Amino acid sequence: MKKSVIYWLLLPGFVFLAAFMIIPIVLTIGSTFFQENSFTFEGYMHFFRDPYFLKILLTTLQVSVVTTLVCVVLGFPTAYYISQKAPRRKGILLALAIFPLLTSPVVRSFSWMIILGRKGLINNALVGLGIVDKPLDILYTPAAMMIGLTHLFLPLMIISLVGVLENIDNDLLKAAQSLGASRITAFRRVVFPLAVPGLVIGAVLVFVGSLTAYTTPALLGGKQRVIATFLYQNAMTLNDWYLASVVAAIMIVITFVVVGVMNKMAKTLNPKG
Amino acid sequence: MREKHIGLGLFSLLVFIFLLGPLLIISVTSFEPGTVLKFPPEGFSFRWYENIFNTGGFLRTFQTSIIISLLGNLLALLLGVPAAYALSRYDFKGKSVLNALFLSPVLIPGIVLGFTLMKYLIVIYHLPMYLGLLIGHTIIMLPFIIRVIASSLSSFDFAVEEAALSLGAGRVRTFFQIVLPNIRSGILAAVLIAFLESFNNVDISVFMTGPGVSTLPIQMLTYVENYFDPTIAAISVLLMVLTGLLMFVIERIMGGFSYFTKR
Amino acid sequence: MALLTLDRVSVAYDNQTILKDFQLELEKGKLLSLLGPSGCGKTTTLRLIAGFLEATQGKFMFGGKDYTKVPVNKRNFGFVFQSYALFPHLSVYDNVAFGLRMRKVKDKDISARVMRILEVVNLNGFEKRFPQELSGGQRQRVAIARALVIEPDLLLFDEPLSNLDANLRLNMRVEIRRIQQELGITTLYVSHDQEECFSISDQVAIMNKGVVEQLDRPETIFKYPATEFVAQFIGFHNFIEFAERSDAGDRISLKAGGRLFTATAHPGTARPGARKGAIRPDDLIVSGDTSADLANALPGIVKVSTYLGRSYQYVIETELGDFTANQEMETPYLSGQRVSLIFPQDKLVLVE
Repeated sequence: MKKSVIYWLLLPGFVFLAAFMIIPIVLTIGSTFFQENSFTFEGYMHFFRDPYFLKILLTTLQVSVVTTLVCVVLGFPTAYYISQKAPRRKGILLALAIFPLLTSPVVRSFSWMIILGRKGLINNALVGLGIVDKPLDILYTPAAMMIGLTHLFLPLMIISLVGVLENIDNDLLKAAQSLGASRITAFRRVVFPLAVPGLVIGAVLVFVGSLTAYTTPALLGGKQRVIATFLYQNAMTLNDWYLASVVAAIMIVITFVVVGVMNKMAKTLNPKG
Repeated sequence: MREKHIGLGLFSLLVFIFLLGPLLIISVTSFEPGTVLKFPPEGFSFRWYENIFNTGGFLRTFQTSIIISLLGNLLALLLGVPAAYALSRYDFKGKSVLNALFLSPVLIPGIVLGFTLMKYLIVIYHLPMYLGLLIGHTIIMLPFIIRVIASSLSSFDFAVEEAALSLGAGRVRTFFQIVLPNIRSGILAAVLIAFLESFNNVDISVFMTGPGVSTLPIQMLTYVENYFDPTIAAISVLLMVLTGLLMFVIERIMGGFSYFTKR
Repeated sequence: MALLTLDRVSVAYDNQTILKDFQLELEKGKLLSLLGPSGCGKTTTLRLIAGFLEATQGKFMFGGKDYTKVPVNKRNFGFVFQSYALFPHLSVYDNVAFGLRMRKVKDKDISARVMRILEVVNLNGFEKRFPQELSGGQRQRVAIARALVIEPDLLLFDEPLSNLDANLRLNMRVEIRRIQQELGITTLYVSHDQEECFSISDQVAIMNKGVVEQLDRPETIFKYPATEFVAQFIGFHNFIEFAERSDAGDRISLKAGGRLFTATAHPGTARPGARKGAIRPDDLIVSGDTSADLANALPGIVKVSTYLGRSYQYVIETELGDFTANQEMETPYLSGQRVSLIFPQDKLVLVE
């Protein structure tokens, strides 16, 4: 009767995702535990003992952490500024912030290649102004990836934060001030704590996104590998599918752990839900 | 509070310059008449725009991208609209789990999804690459479709559905004649947002590339690895214009972008 | 014979039983109201009859046929929703015509019937408008028109007037009753507003916690409530627990706290064995005469005295508890004053 109709409505989507997403992923992770038909952790041991692999992991983490921090520092004030604007201005500013988000990551990363290259904008300016003798190697370094990823994820951070800040009643600041707090203190003790949950969510999205990004590191990283480009290299170029599966499994675990922690944190930080 | 925050405004201005500057630069470089990418460009020329049509299979991959994104969208609608309806309308056991499941493709790293799809669908089950591409794109479009439509339905007064039933309409007819017309704009917005996500996708497409099958972003990636000329800049500009147009349409339909900032 | 019967019906939702072994009967052409506080089950009953809910047990008989399992869209009942539930994307005309189109009525006939019903509800000229352009009262009338035009066997109202302002509510309920009587259509009306139900119904069923406490004509309920809940609901705020009762012809002797009371025999005291007395604050008499031999009287002290405009309201403390009494007088009794509380014989009602 009624109940069974509900499940029929959900069935096609469920079957589709189960067959084409869940099962392949589960099988992929499962396959990493079997080498030559016996259950083993050997693949993971191998991965974590090899300095080359560890370096890649470390580089990826480094890049992601820095990107996240920069996004927070740049994004929070900007989001606050936008959230305080009148609806018309706010709409325009939001559209301008969203636009890069909807553009292809290839386009965005490519634009940085022009800017950071040896004959690019920055080097031309530096050499032209006599600040340096010969062009700096900015492109194809972790720094370039950080810049590219920041550019990629900053809009995401800004939008998350604007959403949260919009919900904070403006009267709260005024109330705090009427009770004797200076503008800065009021902000620090009233607005900021309320914005933290949104900040955390935004930061996690940026962190996880940077950790698993492919396009930007592929274009701006050169020989520097991050786990996403490492996965691709193993799968398509080196045809080492076992290793690729191991990397994939590690990426999934990291993602789920981070997101899981975020969920827990978000719940404790904001009991209101 | 509409007080002027001068320092804050300046800071935000710099951030916006950081965000939009590179896109502006790439637009300007696209008119460079010479063969090397440089900024500022030495002249003004459309030659690289012309070049798009002459080289690298851009037209072919553009076509592939459009078809995959449209077909995938259709498939995602067929799968997603009933699911969104069930999730908004009813409470049932396992609802939060199913909700999480349908939104999960967003959380799974794209590159992992692409890899596992390639490994199992293409290599082990020998599905044609085109099909694998279609399935992969449908998977990533599904959460967008479901989320936007469920959001539209959450403000729908389902008493109207009961009214139609009491007047003699069957369930199916009620859905098509009463529910659907009232969430039309929601569906359109969902389609456009999902389309953009799919069209720009690299992480999945990069694995499902083979002889005769490739999407535009992948073609661009390959090109950049071999040639560093303004053709890519030209394509970028065209793509940005397309994005801008779609954004304009979305804004018209949804009256702003509050969808993106709502939790 | 009743047109509609609910026979031992049980309805449960989310592990909560709302109706259990529920009985109800409705006669053709009559307007029956279901009245009660929120949670009493009146809306559940209405929705059950409409077909939006299924009973876990029991039967729903209509016109001699078993309607228990008949799907909503085959019942031919008109339902008027509290939120009107007009189709936002259709004009007034198309809204009203919807049911007729489902019944495959010819366009020409649709037009005639729609225009006629719009006239009945005083909305001619509004055919091309859309719901968003209408006021609350107008939307209400479209909702009624839409339900009426299909010539339903039964008309169901779910608190149709609660979203309208007070004036409109008064006018609309008169309209609804007028239309119902003109067309002679059997109607079930749900509301929590006592005045509304009492003013338009042939019969009222007062419901409490999934049970019908009393089903009677409005006048009967108003004068002679059957149970403590009903009495309390319609304004009998004073209760005395009588220890003994003996009926003798047209007089009933009652004893409470050692005192003798007499009540006249009338429909309100006819329930054998009912020993709880109830009386309205307006009917109690507060007298300054404190002599010990007053009939049907209790000595008491004024605890609180409030000015209500037409009268003064007193809370009087007695050996049998506190009582509320309203009285029109020039000079009010003062707090702490000794008075006698008199229970007029014919105004006492005995409830269960």
